[in-house]
Amino acid sequence: MKKVLIFIISIILITTLLAACTQSGPASVLDKIKKDGKILVGTSADYPPYEFVDSAGQKTGFDIELMEEIGKKMGVTVEWVDMPFDSLIAAVKEGKIDISISCFNYDEDRAKEVGFSKAYFNSEDSFIANKDFTGKIEKPEDVAAYKLGVQSGTTQDTWIKENLIDKNLIKEENVQLYERVDQAALDLAAGRIDILMADYVPAKALLKANPGFQMLLHEAIASAGPLNIVLPLNDEKVKTEIDKAIDTLQTEGVIDQLAAKYFGE
Amino acid sequence: MDLGNFLSYIASGTLYTLGASLIALPAGLILGLLFALLYLYGGKVLSNLMAVYSTVMRGIPPIVLLFVLYFVVSGSVNLSPFLAGSISLGIISSAYQMEIIRGAIQCVSGGQLMAARAIGLSQTQAVREILLPQALRIALPSWSNEAAIVIKDSSLIYALGVPEILRRAQLISASTQQPFLAYSAAAIIYFALVFITTRLLGRLEQKLAIPANP
Repeated sequence: MKKVLIFIISIILITTLLAACTQSGPASVLDKIKKDGKILVGTSADYPPYEFVDSAGQKTGFDIELMEEIGKKMGVTVEWVDMPFDSLIAAVKEGKIDISISCFNYDEDRAKEVGFSKAYFNSEDSFIANKDFTGKIEKPEDVAAYKLGVQSGTTQDTWIKENLIDKNLIKEENVQLYERVDQAALDLAAGRIDILMADYVPAKALLKANPGFQMLLHEAIASAGPLNIVLPLNDEKVKTEIDKAIDTLQTEGVIDQLAAKYFGE
Repeated sequence: MDLGNFLSYIASGTLYTLGASLIALPAGLILGLLFALLYLYGGKVLSNLMAVYSTVMRGIPPIVLLFVLYFVVSGSVNLSPFLAGSISLGIISSAYQMEIIRGAIQCVSGGQLMAARAIGLSQTQAVREILLPQALRIALPSWSNEAAIVIKDSSLIYALGVPEILRRAQLISASTQQPFLAYSAAAIIYFALVFITTRLLGRLEQKLAIPANP
């Protein structure tokens, strides 16, 4: 009995070790996409109006519809994979998903781990607070005097770290990180944080849902604006394909249509 | 905004929650039983190995272990997040179940094993025919505890992107800005699942109980 058990365990250990040693991965993820006829796109569907779920449980939003159009241009079906925002980059790196669209801004640190498509839209950052907030915010650095909230893993999070915390304008314990922006909004309403830094368009959506909020300031601060799709690192083939689709949709006016539909301007 | 639709969207995550629990619990039981036997009867080396396994697996928070195991299990074989997450949960549960079963086996009076060997049964036969049936009955109350924990811990796989109850509640909370409603719905569903499970296991306990015992 003992010998049998030891034998079984050794087999399990050896197979695990062997499996861990094998290398796999296509040269470009585009080959796999074309072969399967589908593209695995990661997103974090908790960010209205870029990506969220409607009452039928279907994913919808600017990014979602845009990607569906890109899929059509590429001739493949889009298979959505939803996960918390800060898992997305790791998932593209590990090949669990092919690409990701989730209101990503280009960022140097991110560019070391993953690739980026060309810009498909421009975004701004914004600061929101409760209506009874009386501080004067004239430039972004003014917010350092208050308790801040931000979604973790975002470019706003990086901006706060590099421009406020590292420059000693604000103490680290005065910056609260959240997994999702709606959690931050709850804390803002409860008064646990004074100011929330988020992308401009989702912030406007939060203002609509929370009449007690006000917009303090909005401009392109953290990310200098453009939104890009996250791609595997150094994958030129898939980048060319996706960039081509974005260009076509831009000239056809599809992107402007979607912006009008979801951002109302 | 269609409330009924949102609630049924959250409820449809039950499939994933139940699925993950139904993979993790039996996997944990099989591994836990194996490891408990190895710990008790496997000789010095195996026994120490199992002790280390148990201490390490029970000493790290499940969500941390889940991420670690997810990238190990799913790194070599291409599994869906659901399968990789469920198997990882099973591995985590196996450490706790190993301790439950070990404790229960040690509860069975030593005289049982001695008598079994005395009448000529081999060690394997004695363990399998005499010791385990008694031990598993003793383990049942603690095991139903573990079952409840696994069902609740299945919510951790939200972090891997599995659209189970908790993740769906988060998405609805983000879309509708109604966190109380979304999370209460999730809470009620989890409670119902655990309640039904513990009730059923309680019935099983009654069925297996020895009438003469108090």
